[in-house]
Order: sequence, then structure tokens, then C-alpha cells
Amino acid sequence: MDVLATRYYYLVTFVVLGLGAYMMIANRNIVKKIIGMNVFQTGIFLFFIAAAYLDGANPPVLTAEPPYVSPLPHVLILTAIVVGVSLTAVALGLVVRIYAEYGTLDAELIREVRHDE
Amino acid sequence: MSDLVPIAVAVPIFASVVALLAGLVRRKTGWHVAVAGSVVHVGIALELARRALFDETVRYVVGGFTSPYGIELVVDGLSATILVLVAVVSLGVLGYARVAGPRSNAFYAAYLLLTAGLTGLSVTGDLFNMYVFLEITGLAAYVLVATGEGGRSAVAALRYLFIGTVGASLFLLGLGYAYIATGTLNMVHLSELLAEVGHTTTLVQTAFAFIVVGLFIKVAIFPLHTWQPEAYASSPDSVSALISALVSTVSAYAFVRVVYTVFTADFLAANPLARDFLLVAAAVSIVAGSALAVAQSEVKRMLAYSSVAQFGLIVAAVSLVSETAMVGAVVHLVGHGLMKGGLFLAAGIVATATGARTVADYDGLADRMPVGAGAFGVLALAMVGVPPAVGFVGKWYIALGAVESEAWGLTVVIVASTLLTLAYFARLVERMFFREAPEVVADGADATAEGTVTPAAADGGDESPPTGRVTLGMYALVVTAAILSVALGAGVVGYEQLIESTVTSLLS
Amino acid sequence: MTEIDSLRPVAAVLVSLVAIAPILASHARPNVREAWTMLAAGATFAVVASMVPGVLDGHTYVTDFGTFVPEVSFALRADALGILFALLASTLWVVTSLYSIGYMRGLDEHDQTRYFAAFAGSVASAIGVAFAHNLVVLYVFYELLTVATYPLVAHDETDEARAAGRKYLAYTFGGGVAVLAGILLVFLSTGTTDFTAGGISALANADPAIARGAFGLLVAGFGVKAALMPMHSWLPDAMVAPTPVSGLLHAVAVVKSGVFGIARVVLDVFGPDLVGDLGMGLPLAAVAAFTLVVSSIIALRQDNLKRRLAFSTVSQLSYIVLGLAILHPFALIGGLLHIPAHAFMKLTLFFCAGAIHVETHTDDISDMAGIGKRMPLTMGAFAVAAAGMAGIPIVAGFVSKYFLLIGTVSAGQVVFTGALLLSGVLNIAYFWPIVYAAFFESRGDEDEKPLLESPLGGRFASDARADGGETQSNSDHGHGHTGPWERRAPTGAESTWFMLFPILFAASGSIVLGVVPDAAVFLRIVRLIVSGATGVSV
Repeated sequence: MDVLATRYYYLVTFVVLGLGAYMMIANRNIVKKIIGMNVFQTGIFLFFIAAAYLDGANPPVLTAEPPYVSPLPHVLILTAIVVGVSLTAVALGLVVRIYAEYGTLDAELIREVRHDE
Repeated sequence: MSDLVPIAVAVPIFASVVALLAGLVRRKTGWHVAVAGSVVHVGIALELARRALFDETVRYVVGGFTSPYGIELVVDGLSATILVLVAVVSLGVLGYARVAGPRSNAFYAAYLLLTAGLTGLSVTGDLFNMYVFLEITGLAAYVLVATGEGGRSAVAALRYLFIGTVGASLFLLGLGYAYIATGTLNMVHLSELLAEVGHTTTLVQTAFAFIVVGLFIKVAIFPLHTWQPEAYASSPDSVSALISALVSTVSAYAFVRVVYTVFTADFLAANPLARDFLLVAAAVSIVAGSALAVAQSEVKRMLAYSSVAQFGLIVAAVSLVSETAMVGAVVHLVGHGLMKGGLFLAAGIVATATGARTVADYDGLADRMPVGAGAFGVLALAMVGVPPAVGFVGKWYIALGAVESEAWGLTVVIVASTLLTLAYFARLVERMFFREAPEVVADGADATAEGTVTPAAADGGDESPPTGRVTLGMYALVVTAAILSVALGAGVVGYEQLIESTVTSLLS
Repeated sequence: MTEIDSLRPVAAVLVSLVAIAPILASHARPNVREAWTMLAAGATFAVVASMVPGVLDGHTYVTDFGTFVPEVSFALRADALGILFALLASTLWVVTSLYSIGYMRGLDEHDQTRYFAAFAGSVASAIGVAFAHNLVVLYVFYELLTVATYPLVAHDETDEARAAGRKYLAYTFGGGVAVLAGILLVFLSTGTTDFTAGGISALANADPAIARGAFGLLVAGFGVKAALMPMHSWLPDAMVAPTPVSGLLHAVAVVKSGVFGIARVVLDVFGPDLVGDLGMGLPLAAVAAFTLVVSSIIALRQDNLKRRLAFSTVSQLSYIVLGLAILHPFALIGGLLHIPAHAFMKLTLFFCAGAIHVETHTDDISDMAGIGKRMPLTMGAFAVAAAGMAGIPIVAGFVSKYFLLIGTVSAGQVVFTGALLLSGVLNIAYFWPIVYAAFFESRGDEDEKPLLESPLGGRFASDARADGGETQSNSDHGHGHTGPWERRAPTGAESTWFMLFPILFAASGSIVLGVVPDAAVFLRIVRLIVSGATGVSV
């Protein structure tokens, strides 16, 4: 229980991950699927940042006093966020094309249309 | 001098940007820029391979931060091999894409970006850097798949994107666990610290599980392969050839790196359950992939499922922790890349010339295009593992490794995989050579079947069918792949001696 | 026993392999194409024959290309056993090529270029099998042989031919898988797969269970092509192939590559002594004896001449395997000698069947009453070869069967002697009606032939005389002959010399082998093999 109380952010991480994954799988709207994907990734970002946190520590800048929180995960996640944004952009681009082609965002409907082709 | 390593990654990226920018000035420059970039890339890859295989491992630390703090790029025998494969196949497929298309400058930019991502994946010595390249590769691959016509490729690309992102994210998550456990991301440093932390601790085990599952998605191991058949089948022929030959291959390379460089053979020894899991997953993938391949009616989907099975074979070889099997895995990685790329190109030529895309369409193909059918047949047989083709040599090493490790069940699966592969290729070969072509033209797509009776008509080109033109160069490429798939089998022993030290150090 | 570095073994393989290119290239000019085939056949024969004297003096010719996979070199080596098979295949390829020309042109077959190219490839692979230096190289050529013969089996492009082709691939690749597994076990327990006369010595120290498993897998794998029951059923189906294919490949090269594989395993991998110690000889002999009796009985029930011959092949191949499995020197001689003996005789029979098919479009025995008038030379040769099959003296079959009988008696295994004799009787029972009908009956007054129609199992009789004697499978070649046969003189008027010469050559070959076996080179080679493998001079 002690772990749960002090490390609750890990729990939150996996709740967020689960939410995102569920949204990706269960939602019929492909835009919402993309949102789900973003939520999923955010869970992982949270995981990293939480891991870097140190109680009572300062931001890792030279003017602040040690101890610092670990800077490396922040850098990593900055990169990961950039990657995530690019992914979202590509995904949305695809959605635009799919909408132009099929006139719907409903994954089930698209599948039906495809099946009839 | 080791500056060449980052340059190997930078050249395609640079060329990618140039292709895009030059396209703004003059529209038809993209292909030339891409070829120029790829030629330089091949040169660098060969030089690096020469150094790595004949001298010693090439290392480079990005930005002057010394290891383990900076990002390290490492080219050893294994990565050099993959590097050369990536460079050569990219250049080859580019040759194919000149006429076959797609021909937009954006396509060439994405194409080069994919090459860059794959190059980066094969040379990086840093786990997070690997994630970034994994995503770059993924992004470029999604875009390339989507260059196909119609909605089908867009839907396939989106599906690929969702599943691929989940895979990469799981990889990132596992990486996070490893980082929490050790505080480092350099692969070699990680392996030392992970051993200190203890291979049986939950943290390390969890990291392994997440990373492996993430990579399995990228490699397309059954049942995590669901993105792959549709992505291969719906993308343009040149793209499916490139992706099938390289993306899963390099992901499998990443799998080797992670398992042996980061977690090391000791981890598998300490966690027999993990090893068993890998072996079972591989065996299931071999059998299920082959069975699904038999059930396909579309040729490209069949080839895609064939990849699922073949990568099962590779994962099995990697998981055996045997030097012989490891050599087999590398040989089969390269061999499969060549053969599968060649098969997709051959399927592309066939589809371009005759419109045949389903297994049934291949009836009597040998009469309509003997060279295409012949090359397809040779590649298929090489894939089945008919000696002395490279497909056989790889399988021989892997089977020998399995026998040496006394993994009898797996040996049976590996040896029987010959028959499973035969099951789906034989019916195609039979149709191509021993059936009459359908007399009546069935639908619009087949209307051109009579248009290209001989391959010689390709360069004449006076009555090029609406589906597209098959140039002599495209034929040459497919035939080269077929010849290589047979000829490389003879070179394996020489190669084995070059890579022996790499494999030994990898497994120790 | 000296080893001579020589390019001749590889030349023997390459000549016919390289010939594929000009054969394909000259597809538009049949005469040139056939000239290439004949040239390749002649050259292959010359190369192989040039090694015979050296081999008889106890030399072996070796071409070594260096390592293929670790510890295994890609080497070709012409030793006595290899030269036996290669000499046989290359000699008979020459006559079969001639015959093919007559046959394919006589029927105006389609895709003749593919046919001749695949034929050259098959022979190249068969010679590769013969000269393989170790199990891995043997396996390489064994698989290539499967690939090269597949187009020939499926040549007709009918549903039946495709089904036969599929079955052929499935059976032989299945066998190949077993062979591969066996090779892995041998390699694992000894670290080598090189053929050594008398067996690989390290194998004797290996775990008996693994050794038995390896032996079982190898023999089962090669047994597929050797058509051991119950793995024989591809062979009768493969008879849809053109007759020269059935003749050279499905009575000589392909099936004998299976038998040859078993011979290599028994003599040069395990060695007769070890096979005896492992107790594997008896089960193999039992399977062979079962096969040779049962397939003779099945042969009785076939009305289609080629299918009858196919089951006869299944039976005769098991003579060879039985000879190998008895492990007695005399039996070994008999078995090995039966390889060339059966080859000459069965080739004669198939050539005759093909000539009948080309000239009269008759495929079924029940339609052949009095055909001796129409084709006197052909049926004369048929009678000679059939007599040899039954083991009647003067013809080749007698010598080999004599050795086999002596061998079984000397080894004290009288049961197998009985099986051999029984099969000999059955041989007469299924060949005599054909000869009798051809010469002593005429159309219209023929007796009911002793063809067993009542179903013993029902399955095998399914296509026999289903249509009451009318020819069945020649609808695309014209009509079956119904009236009385015209009489033609035995001077070659019955067919073309393209076909007659090979028939007469093969028939006289069978007689030479039977009358002066010592003068014909094969018996000397066989004696050399056996003394090399057992250490007993015979």
C-alpha cells in the first residue's frame, strides 16, 4: 500500500495507457482513434517524467540549487512529443484522404464500403 | 574517419530535403536526386562494411559527448551487413520505381527518409536513439504505403500507423523501465548495468517483455502481424518491395540488437521462460503464417503472409542462443530481404504487364511473360529452400543450430517449414507453368493480357497497355534478384568467417 | 585407392546443365535444339565413360570447390558406386534423347523446348546425385532433381497431369524433409557427412537411438523416390508424363536416385556392419519384400500398360533395396547389379509402350491382341525384356536375381528367398499375357486376359477396363485402333528408327548384361563397390 500511496503516478500512467488503448480499439470514429493514440502516448510521457521526479528537487538549470530532477527523461520526452506530433499529422492527413474517398469517418462503414468494392 | 557513420545517416536525409526543394524549382528532378543520394549511400555503406568486416568495429560518438553519455553509433559486422542490404535494395527498388512510379517528389523524399531511418536503426548504439529511428522509419513507411491509389492504401496506412505506433510506444515504455533500472541508454553500458541490477528482477523482465512485444509488432510476428498483409498488398509495387525487403528485416535486426547487446545471452539463460516464449512465438508464427498464406487469393497478400512465417524462422534462430543459428538468422535476414523484395518486384512486373494480381490470374503466365514467370519461379523455389539457393543455406544453419541446441520440437517445425512454404508457392508455380491462360478476357484489368506477349515488347513499347509499361531495366532487376538468390548461397561460408567474431562477441 | 583431382566429375554435371541455355535459346529451330541435346548427351557420356577405367583401377576422381556450409565441402567425387549410377544414366540418356525426338515429334507434342531443357536439367541433377561427395551435396542434387523433373510430370497440362505433379512434389519434398532431418542427425553425431567406404566410423560410437533415428529418416526419405510402399503412389500417377520421361526418369534416373541414396546410406554412411548391429537391416528388408510382392500383385490388375509397368518398377526397385538390406555380399552384388539390369530392361519396356502409343495410339493391354503383327521388332524386344524381368536366363534380370537368391540363402533368410521367387512367378503372370496376346492372338478372337477385375481393395482397379476395352486416354491423339492389325515386316517399317534403334539398343543391352555380365563393365564396378564396402572380395 505504501508503494501505491507514494507511486500513484505510475498507476495513473497505466490508467491513461489503458484509456488510450481502449479508445483506439473500440471507437468507430477514426479521428477519435487518433485522439486515443495521443492519449496512449501521453501515458508514456507521464511515465517518463514521473520517473525523473525527485521530491524537493529543483529544475536542472545552473541558477537553481541542487539537487536537480533528472534532466535526461525530459529531453527524451521532448523528442518523443515531436515524434508524436508528426505521427498525428500524418494520421490526420490520411484521415482527410479517407474522408475524401469514402465520405465517412466511421471505420465500420468504411469496411463495409470496401467489402462491396 | 569514423565520421562516415553519421554521414551514412545524413546523406539520405539531406537528399530527401534536396529532392523536395529541387522539386519546387524543376518538377522532374526527384528521381535523379534520389538516385544520386542512394549511390553515395551505397558507396558509404560498402566502405563501412569493408572496415567493419575486415578491420574492426567502427564507433562514433555524436557531438563529442563520450560514451556512455553521448549517443554512440556503432558499425560491427552485423550492422554493416544490414547497412549494405538497406543501401543496395533501396537503390535497386529506386531503379524499378523510375517507370513504375509513384513519381511525385514527395514520394522520393519519403523514400529517402525511410532509407535514412533504416540506416540509423542499423548503426545506432543507443536505445532511445533506436526508438527515434524506429519512429522515423515508421512515419516514412506509413506515408509510402499511403502513396497507393484509392482509399484502400490510405485505410491500410492508417491501420499500419495505429498498430505501428502502439508497437513503438511499447518499445518506448520498455526502454523507460530499463532506464529506471539503470539510468543509462547506451546499449553496451546498459547491458553491464542490467547484469548488475540482476536479470531476474521484475523491472528488467518487464522492460524485456515490453520491448520484445513492441518489436514483434514491427517485425510482424503472428498474431501481431495484422497491419502487414494489407499494408503490403495495397501499397504500390515498388513500395511493397522496399518495405517487405527492409522494414521488417531491420526491425528484426533491432530485435537481435536488443536481445543480445542490451539484455545479452545471460538474460535468456537466467530467464528460460522468456526464451521459451520467444521460441513458441516463433514456431507459431511459422505455422500460422504459412497456413494463412495458403488461404490467400491475392498474390501480394500471400507474399505478405509468407513474410510472417519467414520472420518466425528468423526469430526462432535468434532465440536459440546458438552461434550457428545466429549466422543462419543473419543469412536468412539478408536472403529473405533479397528474395521477398524480388518476389514483390516480380509480382509488380506481372501486374503491370498483364494486370494479374490474384492467384487465379496467374494461369498460364509462363506463356505470356516467360522471363517474369521464370524469375518468379526461381525466387519462389529459393524461398522454399531448394538447395543450393541462399534460402536453403540459411535454413541449414538454423536447423543445425536447433539440432545442436537439442530443441527437437523446433527442429521439426523448421525442417517442415520447407513443406509449408512449398504449399503456397507450388500452387502458384503450377498455375504459371502448367495451365492455359484464360481465353476470354475477364474484365477491364485483364484486357491488356495480350498486349505484352513477349518481354521484348517492353522496350519496343509501341502498344503499352494502360496498366503501365515494363522496361528492360525492371526485368533486369528482377532477374538479378533471382540470380543473386541462388548465387549468394555459395558465398555464405566466406561471409561466415567475416562475421564470426561479431556473432561470437554478440552471444558471449 | 588414390584420389585424383580432376574436373571431370563436375564437367559431367555441367555439360548437361549448360546445355539448357542453348536448348532454350534455339527454341524456334527444333533441329538445332535437338542437336544440342544429342551433343550434351554424347559429351556427358564421354566424360563419364572416360573415368571408368580409372575407377576400375581403384582411383577416385574428386573436384572440390571448398566449403559449402561449415565442415561440409561442396565436392564431387566419382567413386565406384557413383560411376555405376552416372554411367547408367548417361548411357541411357543418349538413347533416350534419340527416342524422345521420335516420340515428341511423332505425337507433335507442345512445349518441346521446355521438355528437352527440363530433361537435360534432370540428367545433370542425377549425375550430381551420383557424384556427390557427402550427404549434403547429395541432398542438394536430390532436391534439384525433384524440381527439374516436375515440369516433365506436369507436361501434359491436363488436370490429371497437374494433380500428378502436385502429388509428386508433395511426396518427394516430404521425403526431402526427412532426408534433411536425417542428415542433421548424422552431422550432429559425427561432425561429418562425407561418404566413406564401409561407413563413417564415428557413427558406430554415436548414441544408438540417434543413429537408428537418422537411419530411419534417411531411408524413409530416399524411400519415397525409391517408391517403397507405402510411399509409392506418386509413381503410377507420374505415368501421365510422356513415355521417355517414364522410361528414363521414372524407371532409371529419379527412382534410382532414391535407391542410390539408400545404397549410399547403407554402404558409405552407416556401413553394412553398423546397419546390422543397429538391427535396421531386417525391418528394411521386410518393407522391401512386402513391397515387391504386393506391387507385383497390384501390377496384375492394371490394364493400362504404363501403369502396369510402373507397378512393376515399384516391385523391381524393392529387389534392389532388399539386396541392400540383406547386407550379405552376394545380396549386395545382386541388388547393385539390378540397378543397371532393371534400367536396361525397363527402359526397353517403356520404349515399347511409347512406340505402341505413337504408332497405334493404344495404351491398354486389352487392346493389344495381335499387335505383334503390326510391330514385330518392338514386341520382340518387349518379350525379351519381359523375360528378363521375370528372371529367365540369358537376359540381364537373371544374373542379378541369381545373386540376390544366393545372397538371401547364404544369409540364412529363406523367407526373403521365398518372396523373391513368388515375385518372379508374379512377374511372369503379369508380363506373359501381354506377350501372348501380342503374338498369338488376333483382334476379335482374343481370350479374356487374366486381368483381375474383382476388387481386392477396389481402389487400384478403378481405371482398369472401366470402359469395356475401348481405349481411354487417347482422345486428343486420334482414335484407338479397332480393326485387325495390318502386317508389317520386321525391318523397321513399323515405326521410325528414332524409336526403333533405342528399343533395340536397350534390349540388346539387357541381353549382353545377361550373357556376359563380366564383360559388361557394370558387374566389375559392382564387385569393386561391394569389396570396398564389406572388405570381402567377391
